Amino acid sequence: MSDSAGSKAMRLWPIAFLAGIAILGIVAAAALVIFSGWYNVAADVPHTRAVYWLMQTSRDRSIEVHAANIVVPDDLADPKRVADGAGLYAEMCSRCHLAPGMERTEISRGLYPRAPELRRGVDLTPAEEFWVVKHGLKMTGMPAWGVTHGDKLLWDLVAFLQKLPELTPDQYRALVKSAPSHEEMMGSEADHGHGDHAHH
Amino acid sequence: MERSNRFCVFTTNLIFGALVLAVPGVSLTAAIAHEGHGMTCTETGINAMNADIQAIRDGEAKTRAMKEMDAAQEMMEKKNMEACMSHMHNAMDAYEE
Repeated sequence: MSDSAGSKAMRLWPIAFLAGIAILGIVAAAALVIFSGWYNVAADVPHTRAVYWLMQTSRDRSIEVHAANIVVPDDLADPKRVADGAGLYAEMCSRCHLAPGMERTEISRGLYPRAPELRRGVDLTPAEEFWVVKHGLKMTGMPAWGVTHGDKLLWDLVAFLQKLPELTPDQYRALVKSAPSHEEMMGSEADHGHGDHAHH
Repeated sequence: MERSNRFCVFTTNLIFGALVLAVPGVSLTAAIAHEGHGMTCTETGINAMNADIQAIRDGEAKTRAMKEMDAAQEMMEKKNMEACMSHMHNAMDAYEE
């Protein structure tokens, strides 16, 4: 080793030492938080704003990235799709996400994070909504409906979600009433195969 | 003249009567509207409201609701329950916008 290389290594040594100490400190602090049980996971005590931001931002970015290549059908405004979606929504979603004219339910009051009230609208594109409905969301109580429902039905649901924020309670009830029963929809989907799984 | 006076008294009574009925009516309506959120100035009540507010879309209303909840919590810690409830109502109004 030349003199100049040796002196350079001697100069870098304190920096490397301090960086190592800092990394060890971070790992020790994380281990302390995890294994001491200090963080309260109870659903009736909300996350701090920093933790909530971290989780929300990670979730939003993940949805955005994973839904980026989903091709949205061009018939989401089709009244038949919207009506079928209304039936599915009433059956599968309304207990947690509520609906126009609906009182808050016990489950909607106790879930954490709260299921958003979808009649107020959401900041998701139709492709992102489809991805969330199909795959669910970890640690939120949102199930992966794609396990039991094909893509056609899930797109019907997304079609309905585009209309939901404009609906009055009467319009919502009328739409749900006009929808086929859940069993009929599941049966018709079984007849036509289990939907298209090509996009994701 | 007497007829005009009687009309004046009748109108005044009508307005005051309506106000007397309307003021508690508005409070009652607000109380009923917010009932689903279990608004109470307790740690559990404040936590539940904070969780409700976290779930709404980001924006001016959410920021205002969160500030009102901070104020409500501060009032609760100072044992000023009336002010705490007032801030919780304001937070709920922002939430429901």
